[in-house]
Amino acid sequence: MASIDIKNVRKDFGPVSVLKGVDLAIASGEFAVLVGPSGCGKSTLLRLIAGLEDASSGEIHIGGRRVDDLPPRDRDIAMVFQSYALYPHMNVRDNMGYSLRLKRTPQARIAEIVGRAGAKLGLEALGERKPRELSGGQRQRVAMGRAIVRNPKAFLFDEPLSNLDARMREQMRFEIRKLHRDLGATSVYVTHDQIEAMTMADRIVAMNAGIIQQVGTPLELYDDPANVFVAGFIGSPAMNFLTGEARRGETGVALSVGGKAFCTLPQAVAVPEDGRVTIGIRPERIRIGVGAGQAVEAAADLVETTGAASVVHVDLAGQAMKIFTTERLQLSQGQRIPLAIEAKDVCLFDPAGGGRLR
Amino acid sequence: MSATVSLPTGSRARRRLLMFEPYLYSAPALLLVAATTLIPIVIGISYAFRNIMLLDPTSGDFVGLDNFRELLRDASFWNALKNTVVWTASCVGFQFLFGLILALMLNRPFPGRALIQATIFLPWAIPTFLVGMNWSWLLNPAIGPLPHWAYALGLMNAPDNILSDPDYALWGPIFAGIWWGTPFFAITLLAALQSIPREIYEAAEIDGAGGLERFRSITLPFLAPTMVITVLLRTIWVANSPELIVVMTKGGPADASQIVASYVFTQAYQGLNFGYASAVATALVLLLLVYAFLLIAIRQTMLGRR
Repeated sequence: MASIDIKNVRKDFGPVSVLKGVDLAIASGEFAVLVGPSGCGKSTLLRLIAGLEDASSGEIHIGGRRVDDLPPRDRDIAMVFQSYALYPHMNVRDNMGYSLRLKRTPQARIAEIVGRAGAKLGLEALGERKPRELSGGQRQRVAMGRAIVRNPKAFLFDEPLSNLDARMREQMRFEIRKLHRDLGATSVYVTHDQIEAMTMADRIVAMNAGIIQQVGTPLELYDDPANVFVAGFIGSPAMNFLTGEARRGETGVALSVGGKAFCTLPQAVAVPEDGRVTIGIRPERIRIGVGAGQAVEAAADLVETTGAASVVHVDLAGQAMKIFTTERLQLSQGQRIPLAIEAKDVCLFDPAGGGRLR
Repeated sequence: MSATVSLPTGSRARRRLLMFEPYLYSAPALLLVAATTLIPIVIGISYAFRNIMLLDPTSGDFVGLDNFRELLRDASFWNALKNTVVWTASCVGFQFLFGLILALMLNRPFPGRALIQATIFLPWAIPTFLVGMNWSWLLNPAIGPLPHWAYALGLMNAPDNILSDPDYALWGPIFAGIWWGTPFFAITLLAALQSIPREIYEAAEIDGAGGLERFRSITLPFLAPTMVITVLLRTIWVANSPELIVVMTKGGPADASQIVASYVFTQAYQGLNFGYASAVATALVLLLLVYAFLLIAIRQTMLGRR
């Protein structure tokens, strides 16, 4: 178990800058999830930690030891790949014991360690099987077993659930989390799926375009996003963004959309000179009907339902907006509906830079 | 009454017709195969039991196993058989070795790789006949540089033509064959190398495997099926290809560089003894059939293990 410290790491592939100066400290025993759209640099950052790529500049420390110049095998880490990367000609037991065999561990000891890891992952009956005779979920378990067996300082996961179907993914999400609880090992987990990030992480590291956008617990990122990117990336259905105007008044900052009053924020907010702002509000925080918050009228457009809940698409002064509700509504197209919006649920962003206005 | 009696016989005829139906459908294709492949083979093999000399109009009688009896006593045939083993093993062995080295080198990126790759695969595109001409000139001290270089390096006592030396003549075509066939192995092995997922190497690197260990535990097992199949196939092709030898030495001097396939050619088109040539060819076919069955058996066990 060890902390991972990344100091001003840059990575360039020729003229393309993939990581533009990353600073990150992952505590010992923490489960950190790197999340972002494809091409944001999250996988590259993981590969730098693993030693599969060399940083262009900066420092990487694992457990207080600088590892930039060490080959992967000397960094004492284990990695689980998206494709599982099992050795196809070796059976499950040999796949898991390969690293120990390379370290010249005695046979009996290997059998013991592999047996224990296999039992933990429910692989006891599959020891003699070759990877091609396993299902996707089983292969995933073997890949994790191979990592556990090494008893490394840190586990690195590179989109390990992407090749599984939805149900299996849900189950493995749970199992990986439980495994982390049992082992308590420092883990860095890369995914493009914000639901995986939200459900698994102790701390989420949201990345975009080679820059860390925000680091925090899942709920911090959800409730208090640092910018438009994080606000839009975390949460499903995604946060609504409306173009609006903010005007400082006597009771606070009055927001309007398309000239109609939207909401009044009681607290002081730094508003740009011209008053133009991006208003963000989560679909599940908008209530349909007249309630505690300020009333806004919108026109219903379409209702999508999953059974447990529905997403109502509405039109607010010419701008599209989604509302997430567990109520079952019968709405016809164009029907006027009142919406209740509470000031505490509204986030303001700078339309120019995308930064949060506070 | 009569209708009820005739019904079973009618249906029996129908059933018989149905039994023949698949054969009727495949008959055109089978006839074509028979006409183009089976009949020539049968006629060819039948020559082995006849006395056919092209320049002797009275020949053509059935002579039973005479040609085969002669074959067993023919020192040139046994020498050709020995040479076939040397020729095939050396050609395939070195082609494979150099092909593997080339493939491993071309599998890692370096500047100018595409150009070098194209150049290396060039020999494969040259007709064997031209390859043979080219190499016999290269080995000829009157116009080629190779004997002089070998002499300068102390490999030869005099800048002679090895093609005219009974002890070394076979090595001329072998050099040409290695040069010509190496790209085949390079291409196929490179394709197999490129199909190995990079992540498996990375996983092994993290597991602590060094370069040699990665080659042994990942590259070799991944290449093994391709290696086995290409080596076995190439063995048949090379054993069956007399072109280089015919072009470069005509099997000489004095049959010293003859392999069985070129011996067949020499007997048929220079000795014009078609009967005897057919007997030699039949012997070669039998040997290769044994080899082919071995090949198929190995392939089956390999597929069974997958």
